[in-house]
Amino acid sequence: MKGGPSQEEIRRHNLGTLLRHIHLRGPASRAVLAEGMGLNRSTILALVADLTAAGLVREELPRDTGRRAGRPSLVVRPESTQVYALAFDVGVDRLAAARVGLGGVVLDRREAARPRGAFDPDEVVGALVGFARRLVRKAGRDSVCVGVGAAFPGTVRQSDGMVRFGPNIGVRDLELAPVLARRLGLGLPVAVGNDANLGALAEHERGVGVGCANLIYLHGDVGIGGGLIVGGRLLGGAEGYAGEIGHMVVNPGGRRCDCGSRGCLDAEVGEPTLLEYAGLPADAQAGRDAVRAVVDAADLGDAAARGALHRVGDWLGHGVANLVNIFNPEMIVFGGTLRDIYLGSAAQVRSRLAVQTLAASRERVKLRTADLGDDATLFGAAELAFAEVLADPLEVLTRLRVPGEAPLPAPT
Amino acid sequence: MNLTGRARPVADPAGRLVARSGLPTGASPRWEPPVTPLLDVRGVDKSFGPVQVLHEAALSVHPGEVTALVGDNGAGKSTLIKCLGGILPMDAGDVLFEGRPVRVSGPRDAAELGIEIVHQDFALCDNLSVAENMFLGRERRRGLVLDEADMERRAAQALAALSIRTVGSVRRPVGSLAGGQRQSVAIARAMLWGSRVVVLDEPTASLGLAHAQQVLEAARKLADRGLAVVLISHNMNDVFSVADRITALFLGRTVAQVRASEVTHTQVVELITSGRVTPTL
Repeated sequence: MKGGPSQEEIRRHNLGTLLRHIHLRGPASRAVLAEGMGLNRSTILALVADLTAAGLVREELPRDTGRRAGRPSLVVRPESTQVYALAFDVGVDRLAAARVGLGGVVLDRREAARPRGAFDPDEVVGALVGFARRLVRKAGRDSVCVGVGAAFPGTVRQSDGMVRFGPNIGVRDLELAPVLARRLGLGLPVAVGNDANLGALAEHERGVGVGCANLIYLHGDVGIGGGLIVGGRLLGGAEGYAGEIGHMVVNPGGRRCDCGSRGCLDAEVGEPTLLEYAGLPADAQAGRDAVRAVVDAADLGDAAARGALHRVGDWLGHGVANLVNIFNPEMIVFGGTLRDIYLGSAAQVRSRLAVQTLAASRERVKLRTADLGDDATLFGAAELAFAEVLADPLEVLTRLRVPGEAPLPAPT
Repeated sequence: MNLTGRARPVADPAGRLVARSGLPTGASPRWEPPVTPLLDVRGVDKSFGPVQVLHEAALSVHPGEVTALVGDNGAGKSTLIKCLGGILPMDAGDVLFEGRPVRVSGPRDAAELGIEIVHQDFALCDNLSVAENMFLGRERRRGLVLDEADMERRAAQALAALSIRTVGSVRRPVGSLAGGQRQSVAIARAMLWGSRVVVLDEPTASLGLAHAQQVLEAARKLADRGLAVVLISHNMNDVFSVADRITALFLGRTVAQVRASEVTHTQVVELITSGRVTPTL
């Protein structure tokens, strides 16, 4: 039998809440924190002192004082250059890595194009480890890496980060997390998440969906991915595979999908379909730039490009209408290449919405484009990496600050 | 009657979606928030000599929303906007601001109400910097001198708040900017000056894709910050991508004021080209 939470548990919870507030909403004075967290000022003082001692935050005079009378109050700032996480984004066409400071500041980043073709785990992991080594080497000597997160375009098992299936990149049952953690040699586990799920998280916490508890993020890369924020939390389902919006069937018996089914949203709206409708030869250049080129051509009046966007936008509208009826979201966010596709076919998308959704479900839904652009998934990976330190700041810092540990990844 | 629970735009016997007075007559069961429009103009008549351009035109705009004003060339969109901005006097018509009747008899009246019109030529000074343009006529001072650092910081903040990333330094002279960047500066200026209603007249016409997309997103963000935005556009994708409401003008009359979520592309095109809509979808 266990009674209420212990003193220690309450303190841990409060430390995490305060650090999360500073991490997500930026520097704040103790008075603002006290009001925001509903705690009295002396408790806030003690919590800030603990976090300062651990090197997670510091207090200083505000930079923008204005011209008000009196002594300005100190603001609590995250130690962004001292405490950081490593974030990786594996895309079909690019690999990206960043050193992200507490507070969500990108301190340094590396990026490389990835040629399409067979997926070679060794090659991808090798490239990511190479990025990481350069990022960590540039970090200050006394700075500390508190977590590693990676976004991957596939279904990811929540319990162990196993990538089960990534049809667009050609992967089945890939043990990415343990391999990456071993090769990095930082003594830290690697958290892996589905790219669109992490994009949803990032747009919800730092992008256009801040303050919006029910949000659906749709991500366009080669295929279509999705992430659902329901009641302020990412919907994972039983094993973490939820949100595979790209494999919702919108056109029974329609185009063949890489997943084996027919008429999935992915197959009707994905990049190869748009390019084919626009009359581009199968061996033409693909990728984000090719999608933008179609939207651009449509904007300039090209008939084939307009027709392609019409058809694709109509199927996208079918998908969005189903989502609105099922989830009654407050906001739908179009990210990746879907931003361009939505802006170029909004008339079709919203016409479907007007006809195929229940009036009560659609009257408040906002359709928006992503704020974080192509980096939504990378930011999401960083949030995943920070999750542990935000849950128990002092324990994690004490463990990581053990002297004598090599801060650099071991050479391989 | 509508038994499916699905609100279909209901047309009156003349085939019009709503009344000219600006109040929807469709007997749809949808719930509307009990809010007064921020700006409500009704019964606007305007003639140029023997040509009557506006016949009892109406337009309601709400805070936090983008209202698209659509219509064919010569439907009276620009004339209505010029009346609203006090540039042209109305022959008849009422203007309500927050529910109170007001008079707009000159641009100064409109400016005092917080109505900012961003024209297609957006009245920027080429020889001044981005920041100087944004504070033109309202320069901030520190003692006797201009507080340039403060103005530059605020200008940069306004651009960042609207996710306008392509302008570069706020010290750049406006003359060196491309059309889309100039449009963005004009929009950010409206936000900085505490405007309440911002009218964008064909903002994406003649812009390249990247700039047009950015201008649309900035218009959306302006509304999401609580301003009322009026977007005049011919492009149906522009209208549907950001608008909450659509007001259609046909031969000088307002033939529909509807929520964008209640109409289809085809219906809006019909309203523009024929002033009426077939009730079945």
